Amino acid sequence: MSSNDPVEAFASEALDLLDQIEKALLDLGRDLGDRGAVDEVFRGLHTLKGSGAMFGFDALAGFTHHCETAFDRVRKGLSAATPALVSAVLSARDHMRALIDHRDGPRDERLEAAGNLILAELYAAMPESAGGHEPTGQQTSAATHAPNAPGEGWAIHFKLPPGAMANGTNPAALLQELRNLGECRVRLHLDDLPPFDQFVPTECYLAWDVELHGAATREQIEDVFIFILDDMELTLTPLAPASLPGEARSGTATAIANAARPDAAAGQAEIPAKAVVRPQESVRVQAERLDELMNRVGELVIAQSRLAQLTTRNGQVDPIMLRAVSEDIDRLSSELRDTTMALRMMPVGNLFGRYRRLVYDLAQETGKAITFVTEGEATEVDKTVIERLADPLVHLIRNSCDHGLEPADDRIAAGKSETGQITLSARQAGGEVLISITDDGRGLDRARIRAKAEAQGLIAAGTPLSDAALFQMIFHPGFSTASTITNLSGRGVGMDVVKRSIDSLRGTIEIASTQGKGTTFTLHLPLTLAIIECMLVRVGDGRFAIPLSAVEECLELPQTEIIANGRRNFLNVRGQLIPYLRLRESFAVQRPADLHQKVVVVGLGNSERGSSRVGLVVDQIIGNTQTVIKSLSRFHSGLGVFSGATILGDGTVALILDCGHLIALARESQHALAEQTNGEAA
Amino acid sequence: MSASILTVDDSASLRMAIRVALTGAGYAVTEAGDGVEGLGKATATRFDLIITDLNMPNMDGLTMIRELRKSPSQAGVPIVFLTTESDDAIKAQARAAGATGWLVKPFEPTQLIKIAQKVLGR
Amino acid sequence: MSSAQPASDQATSTLPDPASMAFASALTFAMEGEIFAIDAQSVREIVEVPPITAVPGATAALDGLVNVRGRIVPVADLRVAFGMDRAPLDDDCRIIVIETDLDGEATTIGLLAEKVLDVANLEGLPIEPAPALGMRWRSDFVAAIVHRDAQFVILPSLPVILSSFQGGAAAASPNLA
Repeated sequence: MSSNDPVEAFASEALDLLDQIEKALLDLGRDLGDRGAVDEVFRGLHTLKGSGAMFGFDALAGFTHHCETAFDRVRKGLSAATPALVSAVLSARDHMRALIDHRDGPRDERLEAAGNLILAELYAAMPESAGGHEPTGQQTSAATHAPNAPGEGWAIHFKLPPGAMANGTNPAALLQELRNLGECRVRLHLDDLPPFDQFVPTECYLAWDVELHGAATREQIEDVFIFILDDMELTLTPLAPASLPGEARSGTATAIANAARPDAAAGQAEIPAKAVVRPQESVRVQAERLDELMNRVGELVIAQSRLAQLTTRNGQVDPIMLRAVSEDIDRLSSELRDTTMALRMMPVGNLFGRYRRLVYDLAQETGKAITFVTEGEATEVDKTVIERLADPLVHLIRNSCDHGLEPADDRIAAGKSETGQITLSARQAGGEVLISITDDGRGLDRARIRAKAEAQGLIAAGTPLSDAALFQMIFHPGFSTASTITNLSGRGVGMDVVKRSIDSLRGTIEIASTQGKGTTFTLHLPLTLAIIECMLVRVGDGRFAIPLSAVEECLELPQTEIIANGRRNFLNVRGQLIPYLRLRESFAVQRPADLHQKVVVVGLGNSERGSSRVGLVVDQIIGNTQTVIKSLSRFHSGLGVFSGATILGDGTVALILDCGHLIALARESQHALAEQTNGEAA
Repeated sequence: MSASILTVDDSASLRMAIRVALTGAGYAVTEAGDGVEGLGKATATRFDLIITDLNMPNMDGLTMIRELRKSPSQAGVPIVFLTTESDDAIKAQARAAGATGWLVKPFEPTQLIKIAQKVLGR
Repeated sequence: MSSAQPASDQATSTLPDPASMAFASALTFAMEGEIFAIDAQSVREIVEVPPITAVPGATAALDGLVNVRGRIVPVADLRVAFGMDRAPLDDDCRIIVIETDLDGEATTIGLLAEKVLDVANLEGLPIEPAPALGMRWRSDFVAAIVHRDAQFVILPSLPVILSSFQGGAAAASPNLA
């Protein structure tokens, strides 16, 4: 955060606070006895109010104050957390958001009216708000002073309370302050100095008499001692000729009260011990800056490779020097890469958190009881992916709540729990992040999807289709199996938009569904969109990059395989049959094959899907390299086999293989082959 | 040498406001995001002044002040706490914990600087 | 190839006024004995031919990628579009990097040129639309033909040509069965 504008910093911080408050409120909504959540809400509101007032967000501070008071009461056990209170403060939280957004706008009466409505809701939700005795934390300031008359000055006698010096009070500073008020004559009293063996060096045994001349007021003098006023000995006597009897203020009573309180204070100290989970510290970086940084890194990576190559040639350059420079750049680029990548990676938990509110609202709107479960929040994904995932996930969750989950009656009739469950989970698998949305609802209706697809002419009547292929039909534009358009999902955005968003992230969507049991949408997403580690291979004259995260192993293509070609397109790797693709054939390479061909086994990392591996037969494995992924132009993006291109160390371009696509192709060709074989056998 | 000040607050914007105000007045400012971090930083070096929020996650300000005062090296280091309430009970509690003084939020930068000057005696 | 184009009427009618095609500043280049001209305004730079990376499965007219200052640029070979031989590249060959509007999207592409000739003013020269018949080429690939010094200068219709590549690229998928 390089900006030095605290107001902007607060505005952005306030949004984080609101998210935390929302999350805690939702926790509280689920378990009204959750003390941690109450504390968290209170602390969030408290900070929002305090800082809001600091930075001129007066409307926000004023409004938040009411909610803070309400939660202070809950915190102190004076009123109970109720669903109504949670709901009211959730609304209030949204209003706070509006107030922050509106901070520079003119006075908005509608906004104010909306706020008042929410406050009415809030107070209605606090039944005991009138009753209950509030322990007065307020100790009304004991003495109301007679207005002082300015005069000649004051005779001041003071002695610091015990422990004051250890607690950071500096008598010299106090005397200096008095001197700033006027001319002083200072007399030091050593009367209370203890015998040497009882002397505590951090204790102040001294007392002072100060004659302060000038027009200083009593308030000004008391202000000097403001921090110790309650506990200290301070006597102020006007120096005026007709001097009043000395008015003494002693802090003895308070000191006793304080002495009786350490236990209370200790009790207070235990509160934070109740493991309050510190929210993930988030770094806000301007997206453009991040992109710029990424470009620089990309250039550096390329430049480094070039320089590294120079050192292997015989030029006039001092090879030792050059090598040193190269090593420097090498280190720099790898450091830069790591930092930058780390900057870009964010836990999906931040994203998942947003949907709790969505599901809460959806449950209210549909009247369905829904439990929302999130898993794998710590899974880290590229920032860009997270941002671009936000909307598709909204659609998918809406879809699950609205179409996936049945109404309570249907669920009971089907022998299920009345409460439906939506699970949002994330996990990393190889070079991919899998995000799935699971509902325990009615499941997709195959017959209905088929009928619709046939009616829309997407498939010919009676075409045999696998479930997976059939389910993909719902991603066609204009395809919706819901017979009634509801407020929720029927908002003009269909599943085709979801599909396109995921496509643009180089991801895929998989659907698994069991009638009556539920549906799972699984998004397969790349970990990052920027830099990947690749294995460079040669096929004929061409060099291709394979994302290292997908590479499982490399082996020599057995001679027997080369000779006995024919139908066999499985490789036996330690007893496992793996289909393989000869990239030479795929890419129509003319040049004769190398004698010893290699197989790079790539997989998608999720072992549940048995056939998600494929062996890619190549002429040579060149080595590993870092690649800055560049997307392909519109002329080549349709090829599918390549997920992008990259610039190699020597400045030439290499294509990056799309392993997911190749695996799918291998699977298809297997099916085709199997059918062909069956046909021949019959 | 300019006085060194540690500011402990979980609110980054408030820390920034404090930093901007105090560095502008010539102080060297170090920041900590909660009581635990504050305790760590405070005991690692001796600051001339510590300014802390009370309401913080992980370790609240009162606990941090109490912990700090347990350490002989921190005796006499002024600690000013920030509070939203002009509540005397809070002030008494903080003083009992070992705080030197306080500042009520919201405050103006000049008030903050005045308080710093006051407890630092310069 | 022209015989395979029944839609020549439509092609001529959608063409812009040939006069507007005769650029005040046109870059001319030679390909297999023919001279082509493109709007010099669209030219970003002209570079010696770097190593071209073949894209398996892509349409022959657009089957290469080159690195131009850190950008990966697809290379179009107009000779394929015009049914010419693809002679091996020699030292005279250049890549003309152009930026052109394609369906409202700024697209950078490298045009292969066997030899870059000159930047000429074609304004005021005799110009005619591509004849619908009797050409060796798809008539919609030619925006206009300019007569200069007893030579024909072909003004290729890049949007049409590039769009046809795009379709071709999607259709021709690598042989992966």
